[in-house]
Amino acid sequence: MAARDSKQVPIFCYQCVGGPDLMKVEVEDGVAIRIESNYGISEEHPGGGRVCVRAYGLIQKTYSPHRVQQPMKRTNPKKGRAHDPGFTPITWDEALDIVAGKMTEMQKKGLRDESGAPRLAVTTGGGGTPVQYGGTFPAFMAAWGPIDQGFGAGQGVKCYHSEHLYGELWHRAFVVSPDTPYCNYVINCGNNSDSSGGVAGIWRQADARVRGMKRVQVEPHLSITGAMSAEWIPIKPKTDAAFLYALVNHILFGHDWREVCDKPFLENDTNSPYLVGPNGYFLREAESGKPLIWDLDAECAKPFDAEIGHPAMEGSFTCAGIEQGADGETFRHDGAEAEPAFQKLLDHMRDFTPEWAEGECDVPAERIRQVAEEYLAHACVGETIEIEGRTLPLRPVAVMLGKGVNNGWGGYQTCWARTLLACLVGALEVPGGTLGTTIKLVRPAASRTGSVLPGPDGFMAYKFNETSKDGWQSTPDIRNAYKTLVPLVSDSPWSAALGPAHLPWLFQKTQPDNWVEQTKPDMWICYRSNPAISSWNAPEVAERIAEFPFTVAFAYTMDETNHMADILLPEATDLESLQLIRIGGTKFQENFWKHEGWAIRQPAVENAVDCMDLTDVSTELAKRVGILEDYNEAINRGAAGMKLRVENADYGLEVGVEHDREEIWDRVCLAASHDLSGGAEVRGLDWFKTTGYMLAEFPQLDWYLYPSLKDQGLRFELPYQERILRHGTELAHRLHEIGVNWWDKQLDEYEPLPGYERFPDIWINYAKEVGRDPDEFPLWALTTRSTQYSWGANVGIPVIKEVADNIAGHRGVIVNRKTARALGIEDGDPVVIESVSGVTKGYAVLREGIRPDTVVMVGQFDHWKTPVAKDFNLASLNSVTALSVSLTDGTGSSADIARVKLSKGEGKRQAVA
Amino acid sequence: MSDAAEAPNAREDRTARWGMVIDLNRCVGCQTCTIACKHANDLPPEVQWRRVLDIEQGEFPDVERLFLVVGCQHCAEPPCVPVCPTGATRQRADGLVTMDYDLCIGCGYCAVACPYQARTIVHDEKWYFGEATVQERQVCHDERLGVANKCTFCIDRVDGALADGLSPGVDPAATPACAASCITQAIQFGDFNDPASHVSGMVAAGETFQMHQELGTDPQIKYLIEAPATPGREGEASDADDERLGDPANALVGKRQTFWDLRAAMNFILGGFGSGLAVMAYLLSLLQPAAWPGHVLVPVYIVAGGAMAIGLFFVFLEIGRKLRSLLVLRRPQSSWMTRETYAVAVFYLALAVDIIRPSENLHAVIALAALIFLYCQARILHAGRCIPAWRVAAMPRMLIETGLYEGLGLLYVVAASIPEITIGPLGAMLGVLLAGGNAWQWWRYRKGAKAAGIPPLARAELRRITPWLHAIGHALPALLYGAALTVPGEPATVLVAAGIATLAGGALWKYTVIVPASYQQGFALPRLPRRGSGDRAAPARYGMS
Repeated sequence: MAARDSKQVPIFCYQCVGGPDLMKVEVEDGVAIRIESNYGISEEHPGGGRVCVRAYGLIQKTYSPHRVQQPMKRTNPKKGRAHDPGFTPITWDEALDIVAGKMTEMQKKGLRDESGAPRLAVTTGGGGTPVQYGGTFPAFMAAWGPIDQGFGAGQGVKCYHSEHLYGELWHRAFVVSPDTPYCNYVINCGNNSDSSGGVAGIWRQADARVRGMKRVQVEPHLSITGAMSAEWIPIKPKTDAAFLYALVNHILFGHDWREVCDKPFLENDTNSPYLVGPNGYFLREAESGKPLIWDLDAECAKPFDAEIGHPAMEGSFTCAGIEQGADGETFRHDGAEAEPAFQKLLDHMRDFTPEWAEGECDVPAERIRQVAEEYLAHACVGETIEIEGRTLPLRPVAVMLGKGVNNGWGGYQTCWARTLLACLVGALEVPGGTLGTTIKLVRPAASRTGSVLPGPDGFMAYKFNETSKDGWQSTPDIRNAYKTLVPLVSDSPWSAALGPAHLPWLFQKTQPDNWVEQTKPDMWICYRSNPAISSWNAPEVAERIAEFPFTVAFAYTMDETNHMADILLPEATDLESLQLIRIGGTKFQENFWKHEGWAIRQPAVENAVDCMDLTDVSTELAKRVGILEDYNEAINRGAAGMKLRVENADYGLEVGVEHDREEIWDRVCLAASHDLSGGAEVRGLDWFKTTGYMLAEFPQLDWYLYPSLKDQGLRFELPYQERILRHGTELAHRLHEIGVNWWDKQLDEYEPLPGYERFPDIWINYAKEVGRDPDEFPLWALTTRSTQYSWGANVGIPVIKEVADNIAGHRGVIVNRKTARALGIEDGDPVVIESVSGVTKGYAVLREGIRPDTVVMVGQFDHWKTPVAKDFNLASLNSVTALSVSLTDGTGSSADIARVKLSKGEGKRQAVA
Repeated sequence: MSDAAEAPNAREDRTARWGMVIDLNRCVGCQTCTIACKHANDLPPEVQWRRVLDIEQGEFPDVERLFLVVGCQHCAEPPCVPVCPTGATRQRADGLVTMDYDLCIGCGYCAVACPYQARTIVHDEKWYFGEATVQERQVCHDERLGVANKCTFCIDRVDGALADGLSPGVDPAATPACAASCITQAIQFGDFNDPASHVSGMVAAGETFQMHQELGTDPQIKYLIEAPATPGREGEASDADDERLGDPANALVGKRQTFWDLRAAMNFILGGFGSGLAVMAYLLSLLQPAAWPGHVLVPVYIVAGGAMAIGLFFVFLEIGRKLRSLLVLRRPQSSWMTRETYAVAVFYLALAVDIIRPSENLHAVIALAALIFLYCQARILHAGRCIPAWRVAAMPRMLIETGLYEGLGLLYVVAASIPEITIGPLGAMLGVLLAGGNAWQWWRYRKGAKAAGIPPLARAELRRITPWLHAIGHALPALLYGAALTVPGEPATVLVAAGIATLAGGALWKYTVIVPASYQQGFALPRLPRRGSGDRAAPARYGMS
């Protein structure tokens, strides 16, 4: 037999936010035959250089016979699930001409429509991971102008929404993580990190478990992470705030808090001693406007940044000052009774006892106390550790939240309580404690510690969206109105997607009162996302998508969303396309590296179908719609991930001419390597193609925010939320001024110390809103992450199905055994799950590790079009969740939860494999 | 070349003993090892040499869930090796249990002998998308079709290590793909004979168990159960009660084997009939020479040989590589299947000569060969160590006794068409005795089934047939044989009926045991980590100072 031509091609896997992980594709005679981890980076990669299960699906992804083979054009003008789109093949030239023609029409009409909304809308899924595959498409978008990126694909329930927003405000923590290598005790409310933590996180946590880290898992269903935890507390869904509040209560009142808490941290590094005036705003020095602290030694109030002997944390003090309320209102006091924020906190938390919580969350009071005691015992208040020559506090305890826990109503409370728990023992942003991993809302985007910049009142700067009379955006500039409705979501390139991204779908169906007319985009582009499956109430979103006049879908296979498309553009997939991305530093999930750098994805094989690289598509479109110069300029500015004009060197593209993808990415490689090495090692595309990646050291000190705050004399903006109160009050004024009162309940959330309400009741009583009896729906339906599928857009890959089926719940709905049997349901029986919003069908999987009042549907399924997946017959929570304003919290998110009834379905029992 | 010399990692001073330590506190069930193994070894759909099970124990809210890595354990005493009739499965000096696809005939004997469900046989090409992709075509292995497959501990990577100057278990390229790819370091590979190896260190420092140690296989995968945050604990009786072990959804519960189906059962049924017939005919002719003219043995032997031949033909239909079936003769030193084949060869050779030149000696040789054949069959099933319903100590005796009983029954049926045969009252007396003996055997088998580890699902199958078996296979023949003794002459109709009932009973239970009751040995966790909730949760601050 002739010797085969064999090579190993280094590329990256960034199918999920746990990445990137590096791998090698074994290519033999031009065919990709195997995937293996790129073990060459074992030492530097915090996950030992491994890739996870999903990476191995990429071979089948490449060679799937179900791939869209060439560009296609719709021939049936009728859109909808029931209508065959009648796709017919066209050439790339035709396809690009059609798309560019439509775009040119939009340019002529104006990039915004009569309602002021962008005519072009773009939706990408995957928590930003599409950008790691999208080549220079971001440059095209930048060159184009206003684009509505606010049509959600499921975010708001599928992401850590409240954590993203509050986390970034409080400690630059778009995503939160324990400092696993040092942490010894984790209270984990529903966070499924052993499934979602990425290779790096899962690797580090396994090490921590073996080292002795104890994790207490608090969740209704015994997840993968629960399985790996030392203890499982099966809490009632959506009551985590009660549990966490009771922990705080026990720490504050079960002990002398001065003995067990990190008093210096609370006094010096938080707003605990800031005096709060009678109207709930900080009492400030009249002249400087600076918040005051009562100095017990001097027996007077001083500005927070003055020399203070002993700040008062408790009590009430009479002093002069001003409060700055909403809309410039100033309250002047000559002798007001003011209390330190910490006193406010004590008063606020006093009634949230473990006994009270037991009634709310179904966790015995004694157990809550035990967890609080263990948390305190492990916190090591007073201990220090030296990191890279700097002595820092060591506080090896953390509190983690899952998606359903921190999203929607109750999200503010859980995020606040969790961050407060860290503050009480000084465990925020210090070794061993609760850390942020990444930033998406503040700037500069590439440096988390660099984003620690002084803001008002001794806190970090954070750009709320304007709520003042003059600054407020009364007419939303995109359809989800994130700047209008959610001050906290800020205004970064990510903010649109983090706004209330379900509202456009909802408003398209029902126009809200006193609101700008909700229009449909002239053109909607969907990339690497399937909102018709992945959204909450996905069937309804599919109906809205069908109403769009012109949809362009980058299409891998047919799916439920591109079934409604007008043009299908098959894009080059993971093994066929070219891109350089940033790796290392600190990133999503648990990506804490001691290195940073760049890695390449390159064509390991020829295109298996008539597809195109996103970079080439972007260049072609830019050329055809006449924005090539702007497009090239956007690349030069850094829209492809790295600005091409770096210090002492200009690798910029000539803007007037078209460049092929090799040329573009060669320039990015040169600039990136120059930047990384300070000009010492400038490497082009060919070098990266051979070596796969380039690294430089990244300081571990930059894992922690605390040093940066200390260096600048800044405090964490906790526990008291004065800015939230002020923005909320102003927002209420603004909305009421234009007659909007459908957002009133959301406005109630803007409390300086978040109150508690029975959050489960919001979902229980939703039935009444739609004219149904809540008693009809006695069970909670939740979802849990599938390690094998999530983010991967890999439901059409049979080998993934094969291995995923080894894990319980991948063949059906997880139901408590006793609950099921009481309903006459046995393992494998067909079941029907019905909510007020929809119905989904599957097969019962009987387990003990789930509360009797809860059913769990793994992942996101219920496909009716996607090849392979449409034969799974799997139920999906997305088919029964409701899209509703009343289920939306003040940040614009809801929770992935629904009240349902379960019944035995028709058909044969599914055999156990 | 000896087996030992085949191990390239045998070093001058000592031979390696490759094995794995699986840390149950690390494995998160992500399936990376499973899919990495599939990549490294080009496995077709539904074949998983490395599997990870999702186990749940206890009752809400006192529940524990864990992930259990399973696959070929490369046992120090591998039950699959001696049973192999061709030598396709062997054990190297370094412990690796190997497969030679070119020698394997796909009889499935190794698969039913392995108590770890480690082996698969794929008979036909199968592709993930229905049709082959270009990649699947490129990595497909035709040589693996119709033969037994299993984990090799990535033998090529291990063997390549010395040549490449790498260390198995240390360098990923020289380490089995599952261990190398693992994203939690749960799977560790190394040399148990090297006290300085990482795996030896883990075993020395922690607490491990071997799966099904009681079976004497000395598996070379050791499960580590104790970590600082999660102390170990004993398994609880309620996790191994009949309800849990009778739940097909429980991943610990063995599935019904599919390697040996009706075709294999037919060999045991007809083989027992035929060999029993030859033995009983010869025995009765020996005891009652007057009633048995020597020449009538030949047609009886021909019938016996015919029954055995049909049975063997059914087996022939079952084997994966029919053209290589003669390789079955290669392992008389260890395999009862090979020995069965030799016995049958002697039987037919002697019969052929006996037909041409009948002789007393040949009659005896044929009967002896039949008896050996019957004994081999009994041992074959008993060596199916994966199947608790087969491996019970009494199984060989049961099969021999039933074979003789069925042989007698068949003799009465045959005798009805050979007028020269007079079996006499001794036959009917034997019939009564054998009916009683077989009934007693079955009763003991059933009674001891649970203690012998026969799982609830298999016991349910046995329970289902018991009334029928006792009624048709034991009581009815006993009554009829007894009745025949009370009347003068040989009431042919009664005795034929007794014979048919005997055969029906024998066929019924052998079929049931070999097919519907052939649930595989499941997996068991004698010790496991303490975690979960309630009693299963780790104690507060365990491992913390």
